[in-house]
Amino acid sequence: MQSTRSLPRWRRVFQSNRLYLAVLMFLVVFPHLVGWITGDSPFGVGGRPRGQSVFWQSVFIEVFILAILTMSYNLIFGFTGVISFGHALFFGLGGYILGLVLQMTDLGPEIGLVIGGVIGVAICGLLGFLMGLVSLRLRGVYFAIFTLAIAEMFFIYIGRWPLTNAEDGFALNNIPELLNSTRNRLTYYYLALVLVVLTFLFIRRLINSPTGKVLLAIRENENRAQAIGYNTLTFKLVAITLAGMMAAGAGMLHVILNKKVGPETLGLTYTVDPLLMTIIGGVGTHAGPLIGTAGLHLSERVFNREFIIGSTTINIGQNWSLILGIVFIVVVLVFPQGVVGTWARWRQRRRAARAPTEGGDV
Amino acid sequence: MQRTRGTYALILTLTVGLLAFSFITSAGDLGSFGTTLLSGLFLGALYFLVASGLSIIFGLMDILNFAQGAYFMVGAYVTYSLFHLEAFQGIDVNLRFPLGVVVGTIIGGVLGVVLERGLLRPLYARPIFQLVLTFGVAIVFGEGLKAIWGTEGYSWSTVTSFGIHQSQFEIFGRQFGAYRLFVVAVGVVLIVLIGLLLQRTRIGIIIRAGVEDSEMVEALGINVRAVFTMVFTLGCAVAAFGGAIAAPFLGANLGMGNAFLLPGIAVVVLGGLGSYMGTAVGSFMVGLAVAVVARFASEFLNQTVWASITPMLLLILILLLRPSGLFGKESR
Repeated sequence: MQSTRSLPRWRRVFQSNRLYLAVLMFLVVFPHLVGWITGDSPFGVGGRPRGQSVFWQSVFIEVFILAILTMSYNLIFGFTGVISFGHALFFGLGGYILGLVLQMTDLGPEIGLVIGGVIGVAICGLLGFLMGLVSLRLRGVYFAIFTLAIAEMFFIYIGRWPLTNAEDGFALNNIPELLNSTRNRLTYYYLALVLVVLTFLFIRRLINSPTGKVLLAIRENENRAQAIGYNTLTFKLVAITLAGMMAAGAGMLHVILNKKVGPETLGLTYTVDPLLMTIIGGVGTHAGPLIGTAGLHLSERVFNREFIIGSTTINIGQNWSLILGIVFIVVVLVFPQGVVGTWARWRQRRRAARAPTEGGDV
Repeated sequence: MQRTRGTYALILTLTVGLLAFSFITSAGDLGSFGTTLLSGLFLGALYFLVASGLSIIFGLMDILNFAQGAYFMVGAYVTYSLFHLEAFQGIDVNLRFPLGVVVGTIIGGVLGVVLERGLLRPLYARPIFQLVLTFGVAIVFGEGLKAIWGTEGYSWSTVTSFGIHQSQFEIFGRQFGAYRLFVVAVGVVLIVLIGLLLQRTRIGIIIRAGVEDSEMVEALGINVRAVFTMVFTLGCAVAAFGGAIAAPFLGANLGMGNAFLLPGIAVVVLGGLGSYMGTAVGSFMVGLAVAVVARFASEFLNQTVWASITPMLLLILILLLRPSGLFGKESR
């Protein structure tokens, strides 16, 4: 097409996403920025992964991984309106499958990574599909029960499975050198960042597609969507399958980062965290999971120490989950739209309040 | 009628099948069979105490209370502390345990009122958020208990009221803890009591009518919301009572909540969501199944993990094979 017409469009895209682009730019330069301020090289100090920049890189990699997990959870909970209490299953299982393929086969790190990754994502997608197939036809609460039961079952079983060293898990040392998070942490940082951006764009594209519109319709009123003639089960299955695959990917990033596979990745924490982060950030919004994840994970890092108020010592890190739970309850009761939704509503209200006065007495 | 008869036949078949399986695999060792049976009944009674609240609350209010396991835990911790804390050692040993049970139950009930009145009531228009909220409350309770009592579990001391903890009786040449029998008896008494409450009192009639159609009950001029609060409180108090009663045997630890929540849900689904009869029958069936599988797995497969995942497996199987449960309505 003509460049005269494509230029405004390009500019329009740029305009409407300038906040996201600014954040992205910041995250791209962030490791170097920290390195520049503190004087610690982003590539580590003295050939070892030390210094402020490397530390903050790892914090942000964790944020990125959790962001992918939370976005995948938001796809089913926020956009489709299906509640799952077993999302950790996909996260943990993805990591376990990748770990097993890398450590227990002779495929070598590179081929093992590709094959393990593909198998893990495929199995988690299939599992999500099957779980949805048998329980999504029933009313919503059954799916919540079903996912919780399966996730708990895997958690308990794998926590005692001799092949994977039961509750100790096993170390992952057969990783391609490029992804070695000790020596090439900056590379890993950018890889995780790219995956976050891709997940974000994919989900946004999906939700703006006709399929996504049906998902939103299911969330608003499933009976009505059915009455129009959509097979809502199919669409819900698409959502849960995709969410399972993304969560598996996040789990794989997690085990490669930590170089360890353990049953804690299957535990309730990795179901609760995305749930809290989605709701606190804003259910069914695109920015919500990102804000929720970054806000909660970074504040956990900041507050995870002892505070001395007067003569009493308060260890917030120890009671972090308690505080998080209370915040969560307050958010559900008072700000059910989360940060993003409340902010949008506030802005809307302010604009509406200002509109009539503009022509008047100001 | 046809369906009811089919249900009873199914229950009979499953129970007899489980018992026969257990009997055959115990190879004529009646002591081992008796232990399995007793621990099945024991678990069944405890499952009932968690599941009855879940079931009635779900039937009436359409809320699956994921915090029910947490109430069980609260009951256990409170009773444990009242019995063991230094400050209460002055009270007579025989008084301390009943006192702990009463206080634990009351605290559970109070927390139930707080949850229903303060947190769930604003959310009746948004059921998915209620589900999420009870899940959140379960986390807060767990973390709160952790903050107060620490992560270490507690086991009951050897001294108990009336010696119920130590006393044994003998059948088939094997020693049985009398306490388990006591718990079974308490469970049965409660089944009857709650059943009478539902069948023979005015409030019970309202509750049963509300399970059928709460809007209609409201249209008749009955304050359904007040009944909701009462039922929710009762359900939470019964769960806390269960924890209190279980404490001398199981102690108090942070794993208890989930260890009883999931079997409780399995019971409710097996019985049919909202059916009291189903819950009572389902409790003992799930209890028996867990006990039978536990013994079989530990004796023949040499793996204890199967006992822990049996409730989940059962839940999954029921959802796959008969999602409406034994006594549930065949809808949706």
